[in-house]
Amino acid sequence: MAAFASLPRGVPRRGDMGLWLAAGAVGLSLLALVALLAVLLQQTLRAFAPAPVAELRWNRGGTEHTLIAAVVEQDARALIVRGSEWLRRGTEYRRIARADLSQLDWPADAVTLHLRDGRELHLRGDAATWRITPLPALPQSLPGYALAPADIDDVVAANRLTPAQTIGLVLQRGWRFVAGASGGGVYPALVGTVLLVLLMSVLVMPLGVLLALWLHEYAGSGRIARLLRAAMANLAGVPAVIYGLFGLVLFVNGVGGGLDGLLQSDVPRWGSGGLLWSSLTLALLTLPVVVIATEEGLARVPASLRQAALALGATRAEMLWRVVLPVARPALLTALILAVARAAGEVAPLMLVGAVRYAPVLPLDGEFPYLHVSRQFMHLGQSVYDLALAGSDVVRDPAQAHAAALLLLVVVVGLNAAAIVVRNHLRERARELAV
Amino acid sequence: MSVVDGVPAMPPGLLDGLDLALEAQGLSLEYAQRRALDAVHLQVPRQRVTALIGSSGCGKSSLLRCFNRLNDEIAGCRVRGTVRVLGLDAYADTTSLPDLRRRVGMVFQKPNPFPQSVAENVAFGLRLAGIRSRLELDDRVEAALRAASLWDEVRDRLGDNALALSAGQQQRLVIARALAVEPEVLLMDEPASMLDPISTLRFEELVVALRERYSVLLVTHNMQQAARVADYTAFMQAGRLLEFDTTDRIFTNPRLRGTEDYITGRMRESGGQ
Repeated sequence: MAAFASLPRGVPRRGDMGLWLAAGAVGLSLLALVALLAVLLQQTLRAFAPAPVAELRWNRGGTEHTLIAAVVEQDARALIVRGSEWLRRGTEYRRIARADLSQLDWPADAVTLHLRDGRELHLRGDAATWRITPLPALPQSLPGYALAPADIDDVVAANRLTPAQTIGLVLQRGWRFVAGASGGGVYPALVGTVLLVLLMSVLVMPLGVLLALWLHEYAGSGRIARLLRAAMANLAGVPAVIYGLFGLVLFVNGVGGGLDGLLQSDVPRWGSGGLLWSSLTLALLTLPVVVIATEEGLARVPASLRQAALALGATRAEMLWRVVLPVARPALLTALILAVARAAGEVAPLMLVGAVRYAPVLPLDGEFPYLHVSRQFMHLGQSVYDLALAGSDVVRDPAQAHAAALLLLVVVVGLNAAAIVVRNHLRERARELAV
Repeated sequence: MSVVDGVPAMPPGLLDGLDLALEAQGLSLEYAQRRALDAVHLQVPRQRVTALIGSSGCGKSSLLRCFNRLNDEIAGCRVRGTVRVLGLDAYADTTSLPDLRRRVGMVFQKPNPFPQSVAENVAFGLRLAGIRSRLELDDRVEAALRAASLWDEVRDRLGDNALALSAGQQQRLVIARALAVEPEVLLMDEPASMLDPISTLRFEELVVALRERYSVLLVTHNMQQAARVADYTAFMQAGRLLEFDTTDRIFTNPRLRGTEDYITGRMRESGGQ
């Protein structure tokens, strides 16, 4: 009994089964999280680190082959190499059995030329000279194809890189992957994702808060209110793609098509997927979350404050507007955080209502009205999907999908963190006052 | 007049010549499951302090909340009878609730300042009334804080959050908030029950001072408090108003045994005889 009493209250005993189970669950979750991040980081590194270049000579079916190529993967039995991509990116992959190899060198003067369009050429020679002239001699089999100095992005002595240089290259390529000019970067998708989530927040918050106010403050326990509440609880569990279909029918075809008819436009402007319809679809998707979280916040506003306002002659609306909503502000931000967390990760419904693989223009530009909500847009989630499954390069694109996924993760965490910081600031202020 | 076993609740002629601030006639109130008030007759004179005493759950708060109709907020609450506030029927269809509540201020058991600055708390009702001018707001905030004898303590802290004040200061702040809209009646629902003895004393001095301008109806569990501040005292039991008289008489020579038992703290299974 004495030993028992000396334990601080709240500290569980060591033999407690619940403690071990809980700790195990926490450990597993952390492990899964770490594994996810590790995979993303490793694949991202792989996407951007330069591959070593080998000079190969092998015999197959009585024919002698020679090739200078980047070695993408190797094991005990075979190599997977990527030769110079003279024509198209991602077309020169080759699997060579080690048994056929007669020569495998890693020449110190191997050079990789990165072209602006993402292709790579592997040659031998002095890296410095490739930067200017002469341009590499093209294979005789490709007449009419010429390489201009302006096509060359950079030249890397692939086999002589120091670790620092490798890191520098990874960072540089990573940056180019995000911000790359000439349609190469995923930057438009980044902008599209952030814009989508912001527009969704602007749309869903007033609607959700008003609905929660009505449900909590006015509706009482009538049949309609009960029905709506049940609907809200169940809507939160509807698969996202169904919302996408709903958005396609209601917003794109219905409202958008109707608008186009009214405006008598020849091309479908509103009647095709766009940022606004996608935001509305996501707003609908996150509405239950916002309503439920807001209602909980409203329920926590002390009745004494409501009565104080009413007793001073406030109408119901004045009481809600001047007392209840300000006091419930942290709860509203919690609702927003939940909505952002849910919306930022959704991809499936967007594919139906406006996210596209390649959008020629950003929805945001310097031209009035600056934010073009009817335009189609790119989304990081869509980029992940495209790179992973529909890319032209079976090695580099899936690896880059991980990079895009990492970026999406950063965006989601960033948006959430911003909202959490604001909420904690509000809470902190409320707590200071409550002391 | 309500009559209990042949004894009228109020001696005839007691309030003759006095204006009435509040009046309840045959007032009954039912919540969804429970009857809280049973044919209550009560008259509260103007510019006097009237105390309402009785054990917990006897209907004091329910009665109080009929006068500013705060009971309307409770679902399933039904009221029968007549309630007159300053001569007007409070439950008439034409009565505007905000207007009624502006004329009948209320102070609650627990201090309930809004989580805003001291000044904003007092200005709350004024802003509701549509007063926008900074100058007028400042003047009336100061006047209300002086009337609640809080001005000297908070004059340098008007911008501070009201929740940073002590409980006693908060209670005087909510009184100032109620006074700012210049009501004619003040309803107080056990306003001193959360205060320490010193704050209680200050509060009681304040109530006595308010008597010059306001009609006060004060619910209290503290017999000494009722004896100290009230001109008249009403005793309630089980939803009925049993006795109403001058405070002196109630505390020195009540007509009913039940009243005497309650005041002296004697326990009885069934009171009233």
